[in-house]
Amino acid sequence: MVATHFIGKLRKFEKWFGIVAGVLIAVGLYTGLVTSSPDYYQGEVVRIMYIHVPFAQTAMLAYSSLFLCSIWYLWKRESVVDNACHAAAGLSLFFTAGGLLTGSIWGKPTWNAWWVWDPRLTSFAIMFLTLVGYLMLRTFLDDKEKRATFSAILAIIGFIDLPIIHFSVEWWRSLHQPLSVSTRGVSIAPDMLIPFTLMSFGVGLLFTYMLMVRTQMLYLEHLLEAKQGRLLNEGQG
Amino acid sequence: MRAFYIRWVILLAIFGGIAGLGGLRYIREVKTISPKDVMAQSSVAGVRLMGMIEAGSFIKALAGEPFRFNLSEKGEKVAVVFSGEDTDSLLRELKTIVVVGRWDREAGVFHASEIALVPNYGFITSAYVFSLVPLGFFLFYMERRVALLYVMIKEEKAYQAETGQ
Repeated sequence: MVATHFIGKLRKFEKWFGIVAGVLIAVGLYTGLVTSSPDYYQGEVVRIMYIHVPFAQTAMLAYSSLFLCSIWYLWKRESVVDNACHAAAGLSLFFTAGGLLTGSIWGKPTWNAWWVWDPRLTSFAIMFLTLVGYLMLRTFLDDKEKRATFSAILAIIGFIDLPIIHFSVEWWRSLHQPLSVSTRGVSIAPDMLIPFTLMSFGVGLLFTYMLMVRTQMLYLEHLLEAKQGRLLNEGQG
Repeated sequence: MRAFYIRWVILLAIFGGIAGLGGLRYIREVKTISPKDVMAQSSVAGVRLMGMIEAGSFIKALAGEPFRFNLSEKGEKVAVVFSGEDTDSLLRELKTIVVVGRWDREAGVFHASEIALVPNYGFITSAYVFSLVPLGFFLFYMERRVALLYVMIKEEKAYQAETGQ
């Protein structure tokens, strides 16, 4: 009943997240690619910021969701929560790969290198590898309970990397630029701040929407598998 | 499923439209031409010319005088006269830059009023295509899969969705 209630809530609210995310991303892309001005130092290339930073932020948001889901699973032991963890991990891997790829494309014209072993980039790559490891671990274990428990523990351990990613530009001398928007203030031009903010919130909400859809997908796949398995057993019996 | 496909066609039209507007802005404000292309044109204003400042051609402006240099690409070169100020020190030999101004075919001189950085727009396009196209495919696959699963589940009568009362 908990699972049915949970999935029912996701179905009820998902479309609003999807609509708001779609509107924010559409307006963000329009302002970012059409109306905002080029940067004083970087020129047109600064437009990559409007896709790279939201992807990187969302990758970290997705990993934070995975971390919370994992704690929730270890506490409640609900299989639908494990579905949500699995969904968050897949999405986190997608956005992390997107962040790495767009960052690499941005690095070439600005740093003249596709990749450097900078603390921010390296710690972000570690998050990517942790997520690959997490998804591999899930495929290795057949027992549902063990799979959910061990992967939740791995996700919680891997969370150590997130503060390292966030503070890496302050703790070490880094080629990567420091935070443009922080508690110390905003170091970004107003006409760049509009698409940046719209895209950040838009991609973040899109992740939330995708998490809701993917959780349903995994839950329904398991439900169908279980139903078909029962029918098969009944047929054999 | 029909409503699902209609929604996706509308989404593609909206985001295709935004990409089209971005493309128009690129043609209007960013696209550059080479020295070879500019020499083939008759005298025209509002041209964005890209090339490398030829070694040995750069003459620094004295007080009240313009900068003079040749912009070259693939063996073709154009004499450029820039009457503005190089506040960002963009002008130096062997540097690839963009100059904006008027091409005087009779005199064989390009009169530049602005200088700008190389746009590198290929990197911008790649970043957006490599991130948003897979995102679109991923989202489409998931939504379609969930819609189909609900149909299959309904047929199997394995799940009864709550009405949200």
